[in-house]
Amino acid sequence: MSVEPPLPHPDLLAAIPRLRRYARVLTGDATRADDLVQETLARGWEKRRLWAAGTDLRAWLFTIMHNVFVNQRATSVRDAQNLSLDAEGESGAAWQLPVRAPQHAHVELIEVLRELGRLPPEQREVLVLAAIEEMRYEEIATVLSIPVGTVMSRLSRAREKLRRIVNDPPGDALPPLKIVR
Amino acid sequence: MNSNTSIDDDLQAYADGQLAPERRQAFEQALAREPALAARVAEIQRQNAWMRAGLDAILHESLPQHLVDAARPPATRARRFPRLASAAASIAMLVVGVAGGWYARDAVLERDGTPTTFARQAALTHALYAADVNRPVEVWAPEEKRLVAWLTKRLGFPVRAPDLNSVGYALVGGRLVAGNEQPTALFMYENSAKQRLTLQARKQPTGAAESAFRYAIEDGVGVYYWIDDQCGYALSGSLDRAQLLAIGRLVYAQLATPEPPR
Repeated sequence: MSVEPPLPHPDLLAAIPRLRRYARVLTGDATRADDLVQETLARGWEKRRLWAAGTDLRAWLFTIMHNVFVNQRATSVRDAQNLSLDAEGESGAAWQLPVRAPQHAHVELIEVLRELGRLPPEQREVLVLAAIEEMRYEEIATVLSIPVGTVMSRLSRAREKLRRIVNDPPGDALPPLKIVR
Repeated sequence: MNSNTSIDDDLQAYADGQLAPERRQAFEQALAREPALAARVAEIQRQNAWMRAGLDAILHESLPQHLVDAARPPATRARRFPRLASAAASIAMLVVGVAGGWYARDAVLERDGTPTTFARQAALTHALYAADVNRPVEVWAPEEKRLVAWLTKRLGFPVRAPDLNSVGYALVGGRLVAGNEQPTALFMYENSAKQRLTLQARKQPTGAAESAFRYAIEDGVGVYYWIDDQCGYALSGSLDRAQLLAIGRLVYAQLATPEPPR
């Protein structure tokens, strides 16, 4: 048919929970995560001509979300000049630890988000796409616009760092970035 | 790539279930030889499970309405009034808006002396939506079944989208439009030259149960219209009269025969 198809609405709807999960890991904050998802869906509709029908809609949406997130983060880094631009820094520039869990929140979720929040965003993204979204490394490279080799090295560093954090939990009373070894 | 990097890559890939089959056997042999390697694989898999156990809770949270709305095609979204954001308020506004718009439109048309014939309405509606590049229809052809079911329900009689592929026009989709007297179903078609046709159908308010094909040109849009079984049909497009008539006959013939089983 000569008419461009729209985005398949049921697939889009079905992708939202995963987009929210990824956004929550990226931002560490439920409200900002949902804002990111909303922005991603809006961009998706704006750019729907760029989606090749029949290809993986989820990967395409994750790509959009990554780009929106990177742009937002660049803005917030410019806004907060004292934050480190070092990609391998110990915390994400825009990251905020949840101060106190909302009553309905799952304790484990808070814990996982807090530990992941200690990884640099670049490592966090790769780790979640590989371990949670179970994307192929090649797919992750496409979503994040980086070489596969970079995916592998970030993944390895993320896991190593997470291992130290989880094996040596900083505890709430301790400074959050205490890392022994 | 040195061998350490390679082993580390294999380790990650193995733990993620992505190691290529031709490397898997060699890696599993290394695992059996080196307990430290096996311990790292187990550790990664524990990490993965731990992350998933925490993060999966997000998948089961109920979706906020604004995200459900954001997934819908932009043109089908109700306008948002942030200060009156409750669903009830939105629906009430919509009902008032549609009803008010409906009556106001009649009043304006009458005051202006605008002819409100079916043919003229069909031509104007065709011109409005056929010119819309991105959102000519509300429900697109891939969801034809849903479209037809929806329009049938709203119009109160069975409608269907004729298949015009044999004359080079593919279904784009359709929408419900506010006709002057009756809600009207609109199906849009397009050929490879991006020329568009619309077929509009509505229940005839009064009068004849059947009529011959009639032709009108309204604002440069050709319209063939007819009544069959108390339903009015209008086929509109910027085609020459003979072409339009030929397609009109095809539509008529298809609608007159029982729907083929799907």
